[in-house]
Amino acid sequence: MQIVKVNSIIDASRYYEYVDNGSPKQGGVKDVYFSPDRKYVVAFFRTPLDYNQKDRIKRIVTLYLENIKKGNAPDYFLQDIYRWPYDAVERDGKTGVIVPIYDSRFFFSKGYGVNDNIKGGEKVGKWFTAPSFRNKQYPLSLDSSELGDWISYFQIAISISRGVKKMHQMGLAHSDLSYNNVLVDPVTKSANIIDLDGLVVPGLFPPEVIGTADFIAPEVLRTKHLKLSDVGRILPNQRTDLHALAVLIYMYLLRRHPLRGGKIWDLDTEKDELMAMGEKALFVEHPNDKTNQVKTDQLRKWESFWGNPEKIPYTATGPYLSELFRRAFIDGLHNPMMRPIANEWETALLKTVDLIQPCSNTSCEEKWYVFDNTDKPACPFCGTPHKGTLPVADLYYKFKNDIWKPEGHRLMIYHNQYLFKWHASRKVIRNENLGPEDKKPVGYFVFHQHKWVLVNLALDGMKDLVTQQEIPRNAMVELTSGGKILLSNEEGGRLLYITITNL
Amino acid sequence: MRRLPVYLLLDTSGSMSGEPIEAVKNGVQMMIHSLRQNPQAIETAFVSIITFDTTAIQVIPLTDLASFQMVDLKARGVTAMGAALHLLADKLQNEVASTTPEQKGDWKPLVFIMTDGGPTDDWQRGHNKLKAVNKGLIVGCAAGHGADDTVLKQITNSVVRLDNADSESISKFFQWVTASISTTSTKVEESGKEVTGLEQLPPPPSKLVIIA
Repeated sequence: MQIVKVNSIIDASRYYEYVDNGSPKQGGVKDVYFSPDRKYVVAFFRTPLDYNQKDRIKRIVTLYLENIKKGNAPDYFLQDIYRWPYDAVERDGKTGVIVPIYDSRFFFSKGYGVNDNIKGGEKVGKWFTAPSFRNKQYPLSLDSSELGDWISYFQIAISISRGVKKMHQMGLAHSDLSYNNVLVDPVTKSANIIDLDGLVVPGLFPPEVIGTADFIAPEVLRTKHLKLSDVGRILPNQRTDLHALAVLIYMYLLRRHPLRGGKIWDLDTEKDELMAMGEKALFVEHPNDKTNQVKTDQLRKWESFWGNPEKIPYTATGPYLSELFRRAFIDGLHNPMMRPIANEWETALLKTVDLIQPCSNTSCEEKWYVFDNTDKPACPFCGTPHKGTLPVADLYYKFKNDIWKPEGHRLMIYHNQYLFKWHASRKVIRNENLGPEDKKPVGYFVFHQHKWVLVNLALDGMKDLVTQQEIPRNAMVELTSGGKILLSNEEGGRLLYITITNL
Repeated sequence: MRRLPVYLLLDTSGSMSGEPIEAVKNGVQMMIHSLRQNPQAIETAFVSIITFDTTAIQVIPLTDLASFQMVDLKARGVTAMGAALHLLADKLQNEVASTTPEQKGDWKPLVFIMTDGGPTDDWQRGHNKLKAVNKGLIVGCAAGHGADDTVLKQITNSVVRLDNADSESISKFFQWVTASISTTSTKVEESGKEVTGLEQLPPPPSKLVIIA
């Protein structure tokens, strides 16, 4: 055990220390050593890097890091979204990167339900995208305290979408987005994108890997046999990241792979894999082409719930996400320009969160579900029907004078639900730039003495347009079908149109 | 989902009694414990154990890591390696699924044969049968001075040698087997490619000498 000191190759006056006990933690291509205070790690590439690779690392730890710091919400991105390397070192001809240590929430505090075998292990995404680990009958199922609920995975997907959005805004491509490169914590509803030293600067540094099988875009596999110099060869780029992002979101929400169905394309295993993910790739839930649908009799018993799209179809994610899944896995599967961009995923996920209802079954494992627009809404996960009336608020914005137009944004109301600024005003957009002031509720909905009411907490100019009654702060207004509630008289203030369903 | 079948053929002849057989049992248990920390291995790897002494027995059929339960092993008798190869060939035929137009088959199997001596039966008969059915990678391990690696070398190009059949060496060997299974299951899942040679497995520890 010895403490080694290494100097930065960016600024020779900076140095780092790490503990070398002879057995570093081995990653795919790097050996990882911890600093004595465990605030950062020094991760050395096992094989020496060439000039281009070093140049890329230097840019990632200088230019692109500076871009993030100077851009919007730098603390959010550097603490809550990325583990971004912030310096580079060299020792014995090997290049290393300095990376902030992972937050303790990304290590299992319990792990398996039955023993401590993975306690303290990293929460890589794979644990949460496979159906078996959440099946209580499975001998190696994760403890329910580790799994979070369905909303956890919306927040995780939102974080990943924002991370990809930011990278793409900076002109970068991740090139190997997969469940191995994302740490997730369903408990605190957070996700961190890690292993960022492989980022691709399009046109400048070609990608070194084509990605991880489950996430490689079909066009990359389809042209894999061509030489790197061939103009037809497609390497990982922002569009292929968008395929990987769609697959990740699908897997986090639905715990199965969107393209791994029952179709056999070739009797040779490797060829079959290549075709199933490449030129023949086909959505398992394609509405018209059933060729690749899941053969449910071939599922392992632990996978029979989430693995079966008939039990929980992709449409259980609601209208906004369903539309994007169709674009990603039907229209855009072989047409990269059609794929939804990260920003669209973020918006659709956020809008879907507003459609979510709590399940009234207290032992429901997912606890939340998306209202499915039917007469008899029920939780798709445990089957419990919705009890009582269900108010729906559609958001409208002022087009001009007295003309209001729909936002295409709906709020499903439940007891003790909050209303936020981003609902009340067009001027506040729900994204990573929101400050703490913007995240305070401006009102809330409750079921009070057999009536649904909205209580005004912080909005000025709230008014019931049917009765023309003002609703000052700390006053409430009853929600009735056909009700029109102006939320704010400020510019950009929205109107809620109320419908009560499930009567 | 495709499985990665892993067969461990373990010598339980009389010469293994005492420290070596205890080390083998411990090694298998440590291996399962470690593999259960790797979600990709848990999803893909299935493990079977075939022991050979005077006879060959499949003590554990091809089993997923979650359900795997180690059994007690006793060292006695001679070294019927030929019978073990014959039994392995049977199991590869019956337990490993090949791809059909209706169903995805398994990945190519990974076989580890560990012995501290030399076959006492007609190993070539078993070997001939195995040759006809095996498509996967076989790794031979000659454990200790008494181990005859000439036979292993005829069975596979991938042979490693342990200088001693003591608990430390055997434990190192199982650590390497664990890493090999981990790497292979990750590789098949991440790259869609199969492992075909020793050079694609992680480097063996210093006490393991690759001799072929």
